Amino acid sequence: MAPKKIPFADLGKEQPSECLAQAASAEPLEPLVADKKTSRRDFLKAGGMLSLSSLMGAGALMAVSDDAQAAIEWAEHFQGNYRLMTPKEKAEARARLEKRYSSEYGKKVTVDGTEAEPNVLMGYALNVRKCIGCRRCVKACVAENNQSRGSKTGERIEWIQVLKMERGEFSKEKMNQGYPEGLGIQVGGNAYSPAGAVLEGQYFYEPAAVPEKDATYMPIACMQCEKPPCVKVCPVRTTYREPDGVVVIDYNWCIGCRMCMSACPYWARRFNLTNPVLPKEEMNPVTHYLGNRPRMRGVVEKCHWCLQRTRQGRYPACVEVCPVGARKFGNLLDPESEVSLILARKNVFRLKAELNTFPKFFYFYD
Amino acid sequence: MKKFVSNIMILAFCCGMISSAFSAEEVTCFESRKGSSEVTKRDLQPGWPNVKCSPKTGAVLWWGDPFDGTVPLGDMPLLGNIPPGKAVIRPQAERLALLPMCGTACHNGVIPPKLPKDKKPIPIPTMEGMMPDAKNLQHGRGGIWCLDCHHMTQRNKLVDNFGDPVSFDQPQRLCGKCHGDKLRDWRDGIHGKRIGEWASTGKKRWFVCTECHNPHNVQDGVRNRGFIQVEPETPPQLPKGMKNAKHELVHGVH
Amino acid sequence: MQKLMSFAPDYFLYILKGSKKFYAWMGFLAILSAIALYGFYLQNTEGLIVTGLTSQIHDGLYFANLVFLVGVAAGAVTIVFPAYVYHHKAMHEVTVLGEMLAISAVIMVMLFVFAHMGRPDRLWHMIPYIGIYNLPGSMLGWDVLVLNGYLLLNFVCGFYFLYVKYSGGTINKKFFMPLIYVSIVWALSIHTVTAFLISTMPARPMWFHSMMPIRFIMTAFAAGPCLIILAFLTIRKNTKLWIQDEAINLLSTIITWCLGIALFLTLSEVVVELYARTEHANGLYYLMFGLHGLTKLVPWFWGSLIAMIIAFGMFLTPSIRTNYKLLPIACVLGFGGIWVEKGMGLIVPGFIPTPIGEVTEYYPTMIEIMMTIGLWAIGFFILTILLKGAIGILLGEVRYEGAAAKSIDGANSGKSAAYESR
Repeated sequence: MAPKKIPFADLGKEQPSECLAQAASAEPLEPLVADKKTSRRDFLKAGGMLSLSSLMGAGALMAVSDDAQAAIEWAEHFQGNYRLMTPKEKAEARARLEKRYSSEYGKKVTVDGTEAEPNVLMGYALNVRKCIGCRRCVKACVAENNQSRGSKTGERIEWIQVLKMERGEFSKEKMNQGYPEGLGIQVGGNAYSPAGAVLEGQYFYEPAAVPEKDATYMPIACMQCEKPPCVKVCPVRTTYREPDGVVVIDYNWCIGCRMCMSACPYWARRFNLTNPVLPKEEMNPVTHYLGNRPRMRGVVEKCHWCLQRTRQGRYPACVEVCPVGARKFGNLLDPESEVSLILARKNVFRLKAELNTFPKFFYFYD
Repeated sequence: MKKFVSNIMILAFCCGMISSAFSAEEVTCFESRKGSSEVTKRDLQPGWPNVKCSPKTGAVLWWGDPFDGTVPLGDMPLLGNIPPGKAVIRPQAERLALLPMCGTACHNGVIPPKLPKDKKPIPIPTMEGMMPDAKNLQHGRGGIWCLDCHHMTQRNKLVDNFGDPVSFDQPQRLCGKCHGDKLRDWRDGIHGKRIGEWASTGKKRWFVCTECHNPHNVQDGVRNRGFIQVEPETPPQLPKGMKNAKHELVHGVH
Repeated sequence: MQKLMSFAPDYFLYILKGSKKFYAWMGFLAILSAIALYGFYLQNTEGLIVTGLTSQIHDGLYFANLVFLVGVAAGAVTIVFPAYVYHHKAMHEVTVLGEMLAISAVIMVMLFVFAHMGRPDRLWHMIPYIGIYNLPGSMLGWDVLVLNGYLLLNFVCGFYFLYVKYSGGTINKKFFMPLIYVSIVWALSIHTVTAFLISTMPARPMWFHSMMPIRFIMTAFAAGPCLIILAFLTIRKNTKLWIQDEAINLLSTIITWCLGIALFLTLSEVVVELYARTEHANGLYYLMFGLHGLTKLVPWFWGSLIAMIIAFGMFLTPSIRTNYKLLPIACVLGFGGIWVEKGMGLIVPGFIPTPIGEVTEYYPTMIEIMMTIGLWAIGFFILTILLKGAIGILLGEVRYEGAAAKSIDGANSGKSAAYESR
């Protein structure tokens, strides 16, 4: 279904591009036996005082015992920053995660590590005139990216926010109102209702049907800035920009200080206030280490343009779901790509361009 | 021994019942436009569904395989640079319930009686009864009528600029007659929707005009702009301590 | 070496000896600390969901107290500076108490860092070589650096002084004085960097102005001495150590100036922001008047402003400033007012509205509040211990047996020609 483009296949597992075959595999035992040696080494390396026997005895993945689980978590706890790992360490870290996730979610989970391809700079464009505010992108994102669901307040995480802005209006009745009010100077001609002030609208709108009359919608998520303020403030460099332009987070390295959340001008980052609530049957087993793999309590997460899909050549989930085709994705370095053609042909703008963050997420209209 | 066999048989029967009960529980969702883009949920492989649907609105949120049930787009003018097999579509014909009947029952290649040969609009009570949309055609605001789009003799076909039939799977060849700018943007991937691979040379499933727009009533909706209104998905969770979102209705800048 | 070996036991044995009142106070603090530890346990099993923090308002009480306490730590320089730069005799006698305050304040800051973090178990990721330390990029990195440096400086200066005093030696000025001067500048740096921490983010227009560092330092040099005066008056009342009026009066003078300037800076900000009333003023507007009908912080702002104005009036009046019955009231008002203004009144509205305009409010939970109180209790626990030990040595009650307790610099002579900077 998606092309096999991964430059290296020495990771001791199947090509992750075969999402279908891989994710749906009914027999999850095989790769684990292969992984056993690796995790055992990590286990020893971690200086575990825990019993080794149970790990040896764990023939089947589903039966990974508490001790083995603890050993995996122990090794995970002492792993380094993903970006600085050697390819071998990266593969080990991913194998460890695959093992833990597979036992936690009761199905074979793959953790991909496909690196950025050369000559690719991912870009995104969104047609604000087309957006109807249906929030399908928000829900598709959740279905794809293993965010915390849950019903208790604070448990639900969504990466895309859709802002409903009312169109302002000029009306005869208001001719003698308005600025500057209360200072005794009424010059007239102030008929505008400031309802449509930029970025001041509704996020919790819930009408029976959208689009509503006199409303425009503006979805906002991570802009994957060229000059991301979040990356600069991170004290441990757990968030960084990949060569293909996506700003990613090593969830295992994040200390949860939330400086990046303060620094982001687009409120794109979310915090896992508690252990994420992710039902087994809803969990998406095709994951990427820097992408949608399940997160843990106390770390920050955000949109990564579905790295697990886009690195395999497939559109992000939000692009595919948009019922009006307002969302476009492609390679900015390819003049024939959809985004390049939009940049060449349409009127585009970046949100908060004055902050010089240089987003690779463009809004346009036609 | 006999009892054992009978037990097995009972068990097998029960299993059959259970599995049939499960398969009977069919979930139908819609891809882009409710009523004309329905898809039935099923597993492509165990635990890997073809689609994930919104529990609230029934809209498809996620495709397990973007090319499930697709066929090649077919020849399109000015699309010669797309390698064969890279552009695919989901055939429309199977979703149009009346379509097979149209071509066989009535419009089987002959001009129906009473139909003017000069394409001047006249009311056709039979058609209006079957297709209520036709009675008050919104598309074109009175400027066009049925036979501007539908082929005169082959009613399971559309019609191009030269009066030749066009498949229902290629409505863009018809729509582009008037909406040339949209056709150009659609061809380049700027207008409309595609799923599959993002690379400009990648394989994509193209959504054709009528998958998203109702051709008889493109201007539906109070906004009067291209799309009918749809039910939105649920809003985000209110943050801790907030009882409701009424404050959003108050405008703050003074 | 033998002196050093006997210093620690002597020091701790002296601390352990105490009246019932002392033990009651310490017991009370210990109970509060235990509650904080329980809160910390909850946070590290359930997650920060037990607090009122959200993805919208993700820094709250903990971060506010952190910022405020950095100020208190920096405030200790109001003792060290006059003592060593202006050779203020009365201050010189009690400099070490200021250093002890700084130590406990920095420790409290670190406790609040732990409370604030989502993954305190991963703090080692910040340690160079085994982790990554994002310098010079990360302001938080700089903040950790200067705070640890300040802790170390004060620890070395304070305990070196105490040790010399204990062992009856003389201070090696070649070693000691450079450290003192460095620590004075360093005190400014900790609060400057803390101000940069939040003022370098254009995403948060409420914080994004260059006035932040000077405002932080002014409020710090008002709030810090307020606490020091309260501590000094308590020490005078409860121990044999007599802190001279000159020291307290000088601190009052410093508070008067700094509080006045802080109020002036607040006024300037209000005028600049509200005259044009751009969208960037929404945070301040929310704080002062509420936004979209949400007004939870409004009473806090006006309450703190009134407290600060009253405190300023009291400090400005010489008869009140030198009246040690009324002075504590002014100090409490000033300290409380600044705590609200700089903590909740600065941090929380920075998140309201969010950078994309969503307006929500902050509802701290009981766990969060108890934990905040508990962490303060731990801080006071440490402060009490440090002050008690320091006082014991200053009084000569703890000293190296067999060595005559020699006075250092004539600090105990009791006769000081006061340099008053009024």
